[in-house]
Amino acid sequence: MPSSLRMASGLFRQAIRTITTLESAQSQRILPFIRNTSQSQCRAYTQAQRPRCQNIQTALSARNNFSTSPFRARAKTMGQMRQRNSTGPFSWKAALLFVLTGAGMVIYFRVEKARLERKRIAELSKGVGKPKVGGPFNLVDLDGKEFTAEDLKGKYSFVYFGFTHCPDICPDELDKMAEIIDKVRAEAKDDKAFLPIFITCDPARDTPEVLREYLKEFHPGIVGLTGTYEQIKNVCHQYRVYFSTPRDVKPGEDYLVDHSIYFYLMGKLFDAMAMRWHADLLIDPDNDFVECIGRQDTPESATRVIMEHINDWKREGKPMKTL
Amino acid sequence: MGWLPWSSGDSNKSSDGGRIAPDRTSRARCWEGRDHFFACLDRNDILDGIKNDKEARQKCAKEVAEFEEACSKTWVKYFKEKRVMEYNRDKTIERIKNEDAQKVKELKSSGWKPT
Repeated sequence: MPSSLRMASGLFRQAIRTITTLESAQSQRILPFIRNTSQSQCRAYTQAQRPRCQNIQTALSARNNFSTSPFRARAKTMGQMRQRNSTGPFSWKAALLFVLTGAGMVIYFRVEKARLERKRIAELSKGVGKPKVGGPFNLVDLDGKEFTAEDLKGKYSFVYFGFTHCPDICPDELDKMAEIIDKVRAEAKDDKAFLPIFITCDPARDTPEVLREYLKEFHPGIVGLTGTYEQIKNVCHQYRVYFSTPRDVKPGEDYLVDHSIYFYLMGKLFDAMAMRWHADLLIDPDNDFVECIGRQDTPESATRVIMEHINDWKREGKPMKTL
Repeated sequence: MGWLPWSSGDSNKSSDGGRIAPDRTSRARCWEGRDHFFACLDRNDILDGIKNDKEARQKCAKEVAEFEEACSKTWVKYFKEKRVMEYNRDKTIERIKNEDAQKVKELKSSGWKPT
């Protein structure tokens, strides 16, 4: 941050300098004065030195001949003179230019700084030597069609891991997700650039039919995905989501999927650990995980974060699938 | 035998072998039952509805019955456990805050100034 600020202030100074040169016609008024002084000095010199002085004189007048900037018209009245003296080298035009340039730069640097910061964080989570979040997976959508990681490419995906028999957190989060979907789609003016996905962690009970009925109540645009126990375990592992679904469940037996985690971890730890589980994962068109939208986010703050990423992506001119 | 699908045998099975989850209305009903029950526990100064099951059933007989009818067994257990967990969590956070405040006070009295 300090470096960009320094850069901004440097540019500011440059802007001021430019403005003063614009007004530098004034300094030409000093020239005749200099000429006069050199002349009087010359008079004091000995005869032998005289030619050199003359040289300077010719040089000065020659420079004057080459100068393209015209002398500023001399003030004709006392009023004009007084006005010129009171405003100094600044006129209202220069002031306006100064203020506008300054304001423009401040805005530009703020926007650019925020963008670079987001990019840096997004790059960090792709980072070298860090566990990569995301990867190939194989699931089926609600029509029984295969859905793989390839289907995420070319758009921003918003992934939530949950299960339909979830007592309170998932329904709350899905209501929030529905709000976010509408807000983002309205702002992006593009229904296809943003793909909300619900992946069940309870494939034994959450068949396509159950999922369809369940998701319908929240938002018709949410893509529900399910698969075999192994497939679900794999995708949860890829996205570093805590997975504790019992493997062998007697038919009709009632169970909860993940909530054992709540009771192993008390106090502050609980919130930190459960974060990823009940978070929406934002995944960019290159299938890289960029952001975690947690329970602490409101639909408004989440929409803002997502829109920033989508706009950055577009501004960088990267392709986005809009089919 | 309640009015909810899961308490009446196989009717909660979807045609493709899944298990139909409670919908928005039954969730709301369950949460309402839970809130009534917890309000009753609060009134009677009971924290843990599992440990003090007997006492809770005695003092909040009506609420317990409603709660258990509106929610599945696992949900009932989950909500009771969550109540204890959240209580402990809030207590812990409060304790840490108090300790921090105490520490700041001590430091200030020994001449330290927050920057």
